[in-house]
Amino acid sequence: MIKKWISAYRMSFIRTIVYMLQASEYNLKDYFSWLIRVKSFKSVMYRKSLVPTTKTKLLLLILWLMIALGILAATAVGLSVQFSVIYKMFILAALFILMPVLISFGITIPLWLGNIFIQKPREKIIISKARSRLNDNKAIKIAIAGSFGKTTMREILLSVLGAGKSVVAPPGSYNTPMGVSKFINTLSGSEDIIIFELGEYYPGDVKFLAEIVKPDIGVITGVNEAHLSKFKNIENTQATIFELADYLNGSKLYVNGENELAKQKSKFYDSVLYSSKGCGQWIVNSSSTSLSGIDFVVSNKVKSLNLHSNLLGSHLLGSLLCAIEIAHQLGLKDDEIIKGVANTDSFEHRMQPKNIGGAIVIDDTYNGNFDGVIAGLNLLKSLKAKRKIYVTPGLVEQGSKSREVHNKIGQKIGEVNPDIVVLMKNSVTGYIVEGLKKAQYEGSLRIEDDPKNFYENINMFVSKDDVVLMQNDWPDSYN
Amino acid sequence: MKTVAVIFGGRSTEHDISIMTAISSVIKPLELSKDYIVHAVYINKAGEWFSDAKLKDIKFFQSGDINDWMNKTKSVRVLFKDGLTLIKPTKFGESKISVDIVFPAMHGTHGEDGELMGLLEMSGVAFVGCDMTSSAIAMDKVLAKQVTQSDGIISTPWVTINYSSVAKSSDLALQKIDSLKYPMFVKPAHLGSSIGISRVKDQEQLINAIEVAGHYDEKIIVEQEVSNLIEVTLPIIGNDELTLALLERPILKDENFFGFETKYMQGGKKGKNSDSKGSQGYSELPANIPKDIYRNAEEVGVAVYRSLGCSGIARIDMLIDSKTKKVYFNEVNPLPGGLYAHNWRMKGISPVELVTKLVDLAIDKKNKDDKYQTSFNTSYLKQF
Repeated sequence: MIKKWISAYRMSFIRTIVYMLQASEYNLKDYFSWLIRVKSFKSVMYRKSLVPTTKTKLLLLILWLMIALGILAATAVGLSVQFSVIYKMFILAALFILMPVLISFGITIPLWLGNIFIQKPREKIIISKARSRLNDNKAIKIAIAGSFGKTTMREILLSVLGAGKSVVAPPGSYNTPMGVSKFINTLSGSEDIIIFELGEYYPGDVKFLAEIVKPDIGVITGVNEAHLSKFKNIENTQATIFELADYLNGSKLYVNGENELAKQKSKFYDSVLYSSKGCGQWIVNSSSTSLSGIDFVVSNKVKSLNLHSNLLGSHLLGSLLCAIEIAHQLGLKDDEIIKGVANTDSFEHRMQPKNIGGAIVIDDTYNGNFDGVIAGLNLLKSLKAKRKIYVTPGLVEQGSKSREVHNKIGQKIGEVNPDIVVLMKNSVTGYIVEGLKKAQYEGSLRIEDDPKNFYENINMFVSKDDVVLMQNDWPDSYN
Repeated sequence: MKTVAVIFGGRSTEHDISIMTAISSVIKPLELSKDYIVHAVYINKAGEWFSDAKLKDIKFFQSGDINDWMNKTKSVRVLFKDGLTLIKPTKFGESKISVDIVFPAMHGTHGEDGELMGLLEMSGVAFVGCDMTSSAIAMDKVLAKQVTQSDGIISTPWVTINYSSVAKSSDLALQKIDSLKYPMFVKPAHLGSSIGISRVKDQEQLINAIEVAGHYDEKIIVEQEVSNLIEVTLPIIGNDELTLALLERPILKDENFFGFETKYMQGGKKGKNSDSKGSQGYSELPANIPKDIYRNAEEVGVAVYRSLGCSGIARIDMLIDSKTKKVYFNEVNPLPGGLYAHNWRMKGISPVELVTKLVDLAIDKKNKDDKYQTSFNTSYLKQF
């Protein structure tokens, strides 16, 4: 506690506060959680740094004004003749001691006011404009919801459908109402298909987004413990994601049949399940995976297609099948589907292979969910390598299930038995180690105090024919 | 944890390359291994010794801040008692750091040429790499050829010239070189990194080249070029048991050779990969040559390594006549630039593994050497 209080008197404290507000996406609940949880303000800006925007510059200005006011107040007290010396000293000491608290909590007031009187009205206008613009747009809208795999599904659909149609999707992780709306306002109106990711953070989020986007087709990629700390329980997560199904109300809905929670819930809706065995009219006859991708043969009642995707991991076969089925339903020809699948390639930080001096480093650091971890470990198990190295910090936002989830992860790692396991030290490391012990893991375990240094210097640890799988991310706001 | 002192810089034309080798290829992987406490010991161009954590950051050297810093900072002192001890100045006095292993990362004169190794051998501290004798021989291109020749290892025809004896009259030089055919290579005998080397096709170029080489060294070697040339290099690590890296072949245009600019200043053709900077980007790894020649080159490399008494690490350069399949010994580099980590990585040894192996080899060598008796009590003085 004392260490935390002392660290607040560093020159960098103001920037740290604004950085964390930005990193929390100005969600006050998340910001307050961090403020209470953080042990020291000394090295918070570790992985990233403050991105200068109009908002952050304004916040910095307000904070400096607050400090200036504080100094003025202290000066006024000091010069005042009304108070006795002891009383003055008491007030000045209180001001000095409470200054970090006043600043770090006080900044939320102008932020909250700005949110109500400036941000929200502005958002309302942008979203309203987006709604009416999309009403006039004749493109087919596809919406994707799920605890995991949304971006992967989006990219697969973009590649496959893009081989025969004009397809667009918001860039990056634009899956919030503002992000989606800003994207809609840039559309030309000539698109054939628009793909949207519907981000879910709290109950009602998916419903709100579905009402903006008005999808014709929906894809639910799965339900798991991601963001459990916000949803409180898995039933809330499930219900929120299936708000998409509620909206579609009988329109085309595809659901990941390999995810138990999604499959269970799908029984209440008219939906098509997809899996590595098939989707709709398509069944998988054969498949093989390697570091160069997935080769598979699919067939329906009249024909079969030989396909190759550059994506890594058999767990992606289901998503590819879903995209093939949608492509077929939307009228793409066979050669277009084959070309589209061949165009699918790894996405940044999602099972993305990189060659480093003959070693293959698979960057899956944007994977933030349990199913993705298991899929990655299964891939690692299937690959041939001189040495297998597995790197992870663990998963954030697992809430009350964190220990259980990380024990399972540790056990799975133990079963795969890589030569080296590297864990980035944080609050869940111990749980993973427990799991490794249960699995009687006998390989080399390394616990990293400085993850950034390790990731930046991964090339120093590897040599030819090594395979390294790096999964998951641990942002500064969770330290 | 053992304490390793990495000594780099020095009064050498290869000073800057040494900084790069030390920071990127030695200090960084040693620290990443988390098995050692690493101290950076920098010798500036004037020969002054400094030691500080700041010296582990390449930006400190690139920015020029180091010059001001050196002006304000006291030198580090070295104590030869119980091995080697660094006496570092601190804010409040001095601190003594007992060094378990020294990792020399100095290229060129007054370091790699055995001078530093001699000092380390006298102190009795374990150190990485070749000892004083093999370093001194390896860094003298003439001596190296003479020693290996005595073990039956062939080199392309060559001649030694003393610059001061030919400086006054070029006729003397031309007389000496009479036995050789053009084209030839003119080299300072003691330098590395291809500094001061010229390829010459006629007398006029030869005279100029001798002038250039003479700027760097009194002793000059002139070598006849190998026809149908394949140039290869082979890094080796080990003391008694050797591990060979991959035979590497620089890819060059006919009229060029693997000079300093090509080696260190140019990014590789395959610029996307960070491993392809400098020499690495211009190399074929492993060398795409017939298997029998490949094996022969490896054997010659090993023979040279043993002939010169190398230990720890060295890199053997060879010239191959692809028609006659003869493998000629060219040069030895007792401290390869960057430790040739890119080659070792392709062989299957990561940079972290490489430096930890080298440290282990240093300790093994010291343990072996300690078994030899080098002094004993006598009654010699009593007779006087």
